[in-house]
Amino acid sequence: MEEDVETRKISSSFLRDHSYATEADIISTVEFNHTGELLATGDKGGRVVIFQREQESKNQPHRRGEYNVYSTFQSHEPEFDYLKSLEIEEKINKIRWLPQQNAAYFLLSTNDKTVKLWKVSERDKRPEGYNLKDEDGRLRDPSMITMLRVPVLRPMDLMVEATPRRVFANAHTYHINSISVNSDYETYMSADDLRINLWNFEITNQSFNIVDIKPANMEELTEVITAAEFHPHHCNTFVYSSSKGTIRLCDMRTSALCDRHAKFFEEPEDPSNRSFFSEIISSISDVKFSHSGRYIMTRDYLTVKVWDLNMENRPIETYQVHDYLRSKLCSLYENDCIFDKFECVWNGSDSVIMTGSYNNFFRMFDRNTKRDVTLEASRENSKPRAILKPRKVCVGGKRRKDEISVDSLDFSKKILHTAWHPSENIIAVAATNNLYIFQDKVN
Amino acid sequence: MLGRGLKRKLSDYEENMAGLSSRQLVLNMCLTKLQTYKMLVEPNLHRSVLIANTVRQQESNCCDLRSVEDPIENSLLIVSDDDMSSAISSILKDLDFVEDISPPTCLVPTGDDQPKFSENTGLKLEDDRQDLKGAECVFGSFEISNSTSYLKDLAIDDIFEDIDTSMYDSDFCCPPLMPPRPPSLATEEPLKTFPSCNSSSASNIQICRTDLSELDHIMEILVGS
Repeated sequence: MEEDVETRKISSSFLRDHSYATEADIISTVEFNHTGELLATGDKGGRVVIFQREQESKNQPHRRGEYNVYSTFQSHEPEFDYLKSLEIEEKINKIRWLPQQNAAYFLLSTNDKTVKLWKVSERDKRPEGYNLKDEDGRLRDPSMITMLRVPVLRPMDLMVEATPRRVFANAHTYHINSISVNSDYETYMSADDLRINLWNFEITNQSFNIVDIKPANMEELTEVITAAEFHPHHCNTFVYSSSKGTIRLCDMRTSALCDRHAKFFEEPEDPSNRSFFSEIISSISDVKFSHSGRYIMTRDYLTVKVWDLNMENRPIETYQVHDYLRSKLCSLYENDCIFDKFECVWNGSDSVIMTGSYNNFFRMFDRNTKRDVTLEASRENSKPRAILKPRKVCVGGKRRKDEISVDSLDFSKKILHTAWHPSENIIAVAATNNLYIFQDKVN
Repeated sequence: MLGRGLKRKLSDYEENMAGLSSRQLVLNMCLTKLQTYKMLVEPNLHRSVLIANTVRQQESNCCDLRSVEDPIENSLLIVSDDDMSSAISSILKDLDFVEDISPPTCLVPTGDDQPKFSENTGLKLEDDRQDLKGAECVFGSFEISNSTSYLKDLAIDDIFEDIDTSMYDSDFCCPPLMPPRPPSLATEEPLKTFPSCNSSSASNIQICRTDLSELDHIMEILVGS
């Protein structure tokens, strides 16, 4: 692919805004809220860090609002399952925001076993002048109180508090891989390897099981659920993907238990590409509806595919993320990289899709122009405010000056989690324990 | 097959071995990963299923290839298949730990393959120990199966006919036996448990076999931990 001017149009106008180094822990999920004002990250240590975009400053119109830390809280703690004598990791697998309905923000965060609803609210006023206690909080001597006064609210430094409002526990035997908020804003689903449960936000002690693929005999198990998502507009429709590379679309109106799908999406295998690892690389690691609700995008180990909901027998578009790894599958199996679960995201207008790769590379594909680009999230190779330079992996033969050869790729630097602002060209890229935020250059 | 007196070409042999070794390499990687998983904190079901499916797929490929009459290939693969199946079964059963708390099955070869075991394990163990890393833990389980087959094949009476164990007769039949390579401390105990097996009734032998499976399981735990 030539580095021509056209390529730069999609993406290279992105410049690096900030990078936040969280020293302790690897980022495990990244998610913008519905307005893009807030960006939440979850990490391996069970913490959630929320960034808020600054208001645009009139003094510096060339600078878009920057994202600063807004709130940090410990969402999940490590637990011990006494029945199985196993530790339950506190790693945050997914965060999903609820649409904002009042001054507070609500999000769902989940580890392997438990989903929690968090309320994040601001406090910028404090009542002063209590009758029974003084300003330090100590109780006043009742005999000394001679008059009654009304407490008044006085401004204070902004404080952001996060409180757990609901805990949805004990509903999953296996590891939760997805949560998805329904468009009715009253229910959400949580999916583990073999089951999907439907919850009402108000009820924590029960959930409905809507999908169950556990066989009667575990020895017959050959397929697991890998991701699930509700349709953005139709509250009765959801999809889930499997480790065999299939996607099932289900309609909750047809029956209580949605084991029988309404639609089944599968691409026939290409016999020329068959290898020992064909099944492993066909396992879908992420599935996302487009904002329009007309398409779904799936990510497997080597490709990203776009499917039209009306066509089940093959995807309408297939994009190669890092096909040069196809000849390296045996080594990638040995070092377990073949099991890495990459996510994929749409931009706000569904015209560009993005996913991560190794060596801190991430890829963008423009669906309209069919152009694609590889960018790198690293401090060494990009200065703040500098436009990102497209990267290229050299497969064989002569390596050009700025290219990197396949054998030099660092497989420990993987970009699994990315997010795209719902309406603007702002992206968040998690590179191990660093978060990069890239913004479109303002013309 | 080539006729008598004709030399087999080196390139044919190498091709066979090369094709064989890549499949063998992958099979061994699979077994290693499955074995390691038993010791992990909580096995990842997604990963285990993918690895198990890969192994199953290769098993079915091996079955297709068995129609090719190549004794080297067949002998090297036969040993893998049954233990692979057993390994997969035991791994997946282990994963079903909450809803069905039943003891996991252990690596015991089926009755049909015992004669082949004694012929061919020697060949396989020698070849692979030298070549492949990670073979250690793979063959740990093979060794257990091997010893089990020894115990089943030999007439138990013959070993101990010179020991007078009449005073050790007990009410219950065949408590678990120790394997033939025990630590020195354990040698005392087995003698006490043999008397009931001295009687050559078929039912006792049958019960012995069940207990040998349990023995297998115990050894597996000991070796695994």
